[in-house]
Amino acid sequence: MTELIRDSYRYRELIWALALKELKIRYKRSVLGFMWALLNPALLMVVLTLVFSTIMRFNIPHYAIFLLSVLLPWTFFSQSLSYAVEAIVTNGDLIKKVAVPKLVFPMAALVSNIINLLLSLIPLAILVPLLRHPFYWTWIYLPVPLVALAIFTLGMSFFFAVANVFYRDVAHILQILLSAWFYLTPIIYPLDAIPAKYHWFFKLNPILFVINGFRLSVYYGLLPKAPSIIASFVCAFISLIIGFSIFRRYQDNFVFYV
Amino acid sequence: MSLTAPAIRLQNVTQCFRVIQERPDTVRELFSKLFRRQSSYHNFEAVKNVSFEVPAGQMLGIIGRNGSGKSTLLKIVAGVYRPTSGTVKVNGSLAPLIELGAGFHHELTGRENILLNGLLMGYSKREMLERQQRIIEFADIGDFIDAPVKQYSSGMYMRLAFAVATEVDPQILLVDEILAVGDAGFQEKCFERIRKFREAGKTILFVTHAMSDVQEHCERVLLLEQGSIVMDSSPEATIAMYKSLITPELAAAH
Repeated sequence: MTELIRDSYRYRELIWALALKELKIRYKRSVLGFMWALLNPALLMVVLTLVFSTIMRFNIPHYAIFLLSVLLPWTFFSQSLSYAVEAIVTNGDLIKKVAVPKLVFPMAALVSNIINLLLSLIPLAILVPLLRHPFYWTWIYLPVPLVALAIFTLGMSFFFAVANVFYRDVAHILQILLSAWFYLTPIIYPLDAIPAKYHWFFKLNPILFVINGFRLSVYYGLLPKAPSIIASFVCAFISLIIGFSIFRRYQDNFVFYV
Repeated sequence: MSLTAPAIRLQNVTQCFRVIQERPDTVRELFSKLFRRQSSYHNFEAVKNVSFEVPAGQMLGIIGRNGSGKSTLLKIVAGVYRPTSGTVKVNGSLAPLIELGAGFHHELTGRENILLNGLLMGYSKREMLERQQRIIEFADIGDFIDAPVKQYSSGMYMRLAFAVATEVDPQILLVDEILAVGDAGFQEKCFERIRKFREAGKTILFVTHAMSDVQEHCERVLLLEQGSIVMDSSPEATIAMYKSLITPELAAAH
């Protein structure tokens, strides 16, 4: 683990440059360029708000905020993993030619998606007063679940990046896995909508505690209880330790498989 | 400790590759491994039990036929491959000129790539910004420096790659068959720079098929054949040996 911290620090400029490169390339040649990072979530929000306030009505006030408060972190999570799963393979040419610590690639994927997530919070912050939802002071708590989410995502990123080097099926399996996971996580519905006797099953979901912090502070104006915060960090660090140990163990072999 | 500790030392280095025979990287291979205990690849030793030392300040040529292991050897020294067995010691900062602009990204401009490439080689942003102007001057590709490198000709690409790799002032330079791309003027500029490197007491590993360059610049030459060193001697002697190796092949071609 010290290796992870040391190398991330030593190569921080490279990680940052790779992350910016990622974003630059994503928005290059579009007329609005970087504005898309803001526009994309904003337009998504307009669509969701319209759909859920006119066509599909739930018994949840300000359903759009209810949904978006966890949909944005979830999108970050699933998009990060979709990037990370290809992180080593797409940089294969580089890995075969330059001696570079491999961890910079999943890290850069994570950093570029963190930037996207932070940018997507801006339209959310605009939407909240527009829909006349209270703007709670608990927003300032957001960095805490954000850190937990980033750590959790990084661990999973390492795992999927390695797995896909050796078995390219993993990238496809991941997409199925993510959509199943999406519906098994209380994102579009509240946990209360599930009969209480199944709650234990839903609470096995490691991302539940991580993501719940977002909904509590943005939608309900509440802070999570201590056990829930601890659970979210325990899940995050277990993910990171397992993911990074596997990554470290196999990283010298990447060059033969990419 | 002697003052002339070798810049590079390889001891009994062997590098195995898996040569994949058929549709390898899917779950199928996993199943075939699990159930049939039969694999779809075989091992190939690209470099076999190679040992040599390069004293600091030497320019060492490495020659051999295609597939003899020259490039693999350079990549082992560069740290791209961790050898299957044996040890590699490198004393001093190292700049690999193994493949043209390996770290270049096609969508980024030349200027952006200078920074990215420098960071990939382990230099800091500040160091690269300090050197940026000199790199641009040496590469001498005019306004193209602010165009995406995908619009570059292969010669321009190489000019920039060479400029970045050598301007960072490494103690050891690895050169793999790349100078052939530039025009005569730029080649002369590169060799001029290599001469300066040598005067400054830097170590150079030089892989090429151009025997005249080996003859002119190297003080010692290794000949590789099927992954092993078959000769380690003066340029004249090694080149003669190499020519005798390829003579049957040349005869067959006629």
